[in-house]
Amino acid sequence: MSDTTLVRPRAEFLRGISMRDAGTLIGLVVILAVFGAMVPGFFAERNLINILQQSSINACLALGMTLVIISGGIDLSVGPTAALSAVISASMMVAGVPFPLAIAAGFAIGLACGLVNGVLVAYVGLQPFIVTLGTLSTYRALALIYTGGNPVLGLPPGFRAIFNGSLFGLPLAVVIVAGVAVVAWVVLKKTPFGEYLLAVGGNEEAAYIAGVPIARTKIAAYMISGLLAALAAQILIGRLGAAEPILGNLWELDAIAAAAIGGASLMGGKGSVVGTILGAVILGAMRNGLTLMNVQSFYQLLATGLIILAAMLIDRVTRGRG
Amino acid sequence: MSPRLQFQGISKLFPAVRALDGVSFSVGAGEIHGLLGENGAGKSTLLRILSGVYRPTAGSVLIDGKPVTLANPVAARAAGVAMIHQELQQVPRLSVAQNMFLGHPLTRGGIFVARREQERRAAEALAAIDPSIDPAAPLGTLKVAQRQIVEIARALLDRARIVAMDEPTSSLTPSEFERLAQVITGLARDGVAVVYVSHKLDEVFGICRRATIMRDGVVVDSVDLNDLSEKAVVAMMVGRELAQEHHNSHATNKVTLSARGLSSATKVRNVSFDLHRGEVLGIAGLVGSGRTELLRLLAGADRATAGTIAIDGKAARFSSPRDAIAAGIGLVPEERKREGIVPLRSISSNMALASMGVFAPRGVIDHARLKRVAVDKMGRVNLRPFLLDRPIRLFSGGNQQKAIIGRWLAAGTRILLFDEPTRGIDVGAKAEIYHLIEELAAEGHAVIVVSSELPEVIRLADRVLVMRDGSIAAELHRDDISEQAIAAHAIPQTQTPAAQSARQ
Repeated sequence: MSDTTLVRPRAEFLRGISMRDAGTLIGLVVILAVFGAMVPGFFAERNLINILQQSSINACLALGMTLVIISGGIDLSVGPTAALSAVISASMMVAGVPFPLAIAAGFAIGLACGLVNGVLVAYVGLQPFIVTLGTLSTYRALALIYTGGNPVLGLPPGFRAIFNGSLFGLPLAVVIVAGVAVVAWVVLKKTPFGEYLLAVGGNEEAAYIAGVPIARTKIAAYMISGLLAALAAQILIGRLGAAEPILGNLWELDAIAAAAIGGASLMGGKGSVVGTILGAVILGAMRNGLTLMNVQSFYQLLATGLIILAAMLIDRVTRGRG
Repeated sequence: MSPRLQFQGISKLFPAVRALDGVSFSVGAGEIHGLLGENGAGKSTLLRILSGVYRPTAGSVLIDGKPVTLANPVAARAAGVAMIHQELQQVPRLSVAQNMFLGHPLTRGGIFVARREQERRAAEALAAIDPSIDPAAPLGTLKVAQRQIVEIARALLDRARIVAMDEPTSSLTPSEFERLAQVITGLARDGVAVVYVSHKLDEVFGICRRATIMRDGVVVDSVDLNDLSEKAVVAMMVGRELAQEHHNSHATNKVTLSARGLSSATKVRNVSFDLHRGEVLGIAGLVGSGRTELLRLLAGADRATAGTIAIDGKAARFSSPRDAIAAGIGLVPEERKREGIVPLRSISSNMALASMGVFAPRGVIDHARLKRVAVDKMGRVNLRPFLLDRPIRLFSGGNQQKAIIGRWLAAGTRILLFDEPTRGIDVGAKAEIYHLIEELAAEGHAVIVVSSELPEVIRLADRVLVMRDGSIAAELHRDDISEQAIAAHAIPQTQTPAAQSARQ
């Protein structure tokens, strides 16, 4: 017994980071090393902060996406959810509504969009892919109809100052998303809701027999995804000073890519918050490096595609270990 | 004359595991050869080698005296080996004929599938064994027993010289087994060598003359079953004598659960009974008689259309398993993989799933406490190896079952519903599960056991309800419980076995 007690502290420490997360981390280190060698100034503090800032919106969306994917679903509607949330809060601010209220309204829109997705999936029993494909068009259309297709311009400087500020030398957006990541990690690892998500996605029938509240769990996942899409929208319009109804186009694909690179399985029941964050930073670092190298955007797309495929191949080869 | 099938010194190494070690035995043409052993003894690995899924690390397979290379399933099929799997590998939406020609369809000019011709040939093959099956019908509309027959017809179609059957009867009723046994005997009469794997010893003794017994990857012996008792064979399988277990009753007369006039939309019709503290109530009946459906009503998994349930005299209404769990009821389901475990999650997580609220009183899970309870409950159900953080899918069926039982103990469940508690579980682990059920009853739990295995019902039950067509056909008290009594009530009066065979 004394032997196991001696070994325990190390084992506890190692359990915090899984084999799969370690793999994603190695991937990130390799990519950073390659760009560091090829791009002068890549490791400059300013550029590293840039990478984090550029990754923050995708990381925010990808965290919500990870929870939905773990539950066995998918949320294709995050981009339009963000757009709808953005144009409604922006137009409220332009109309003179105090911005805490306008931001709250934006979050409420995100939660409502998630609620609709969740109810259609959990209570009506439609397939998540089709439901969110439908709401992808619907929410986008609502944003376009609401604005007549025009951007909402002239956001108050006070609002912009919130999201463009910095804390501890880091852009506030990065700090906020890091905070969200910590909360998401705690939720997944330390709360019943996290266990329920993994159980519902891992074996819904068994979870039902064991008394897991299936519908509530799924709906909560979609609502969190909607809320984080709304948060991403606030960060973006704070940075741009305007809200376009077409913002967030193809955001869902980047978010799914980050989650998948980080080890989430589209079959459900598997996924990691740490992995997803690393996945988002991998995508961000790669785009940043290629841009600095003046590589055409066609090749950036190619690189993104290859990274996703490589991550999946490595997954396949190492499956069942750790 | 050389035997039809011969294994010579077959070994199979996996990383860190020696699954087979020098396995040698032979099966003659026209012989039905039993292959016996506990889970993990190496039977499935050997069958996978025979059907070309695995390559042996050492040794060779001989067919009619000639060594054959079974590099992949197609090669094995070409060599005359047909494999009939435990979980049928068929496509339910395709027709019977399409399934029989799956992978190598008949074509016209190499482009178009010749459906008519396929159906004609399928009908020919089926005619010999079960002409009532329509080759054009979607396979999904057939009963499991008929689907087995289709697999066998497919083997005939391939002119298989060797047919390997892995647990073919795990979901068949006794009369369906009789039919299948006739078909298998017919195959053997035509000179096919049959390798027959089953956990049900009475079946193996019924249709096999010889059997090979495996344990831990090696052959214990190839024996003539006429010379041995079932008990001796079990001893060879597990490597020790299993003590003959006697039934102990702990039933009280305090009613814990009472059901009155329960009916469901599916099968259950007007079922009433009382369950007492410390009692083990057996529910017997044919597959499809509504036993599983009754348990699902009691566990809140399905909703009753009529009737009432009372727990300790208080009326209870269940709209989901959550309600039933709150009332102290837990279901240990029949299909462990589908309804029991969350495969990727650890033993501890699977154990804690039904009682998360207890472990997270303030929203965050108290992992230290969860671990303490897991250590306690898994020790209680005697789960070994004691690796609580390991994904449950890596454990044997018996251990998975123990973890599910531990789940209900952790949730403070007082009424345990077991649906086929030892399905797919080793002989050795079976005895442990029986013990556990008895101990739970002794501690004052009320237990219901649904089982198709009559010896199991007789071993465990203080009282037996026999179900037929969704209703309770009889209630048997301990002294009246016997296989004959149960069978007499379970089989519909208009359809006794004699009447059935007369019709055919």
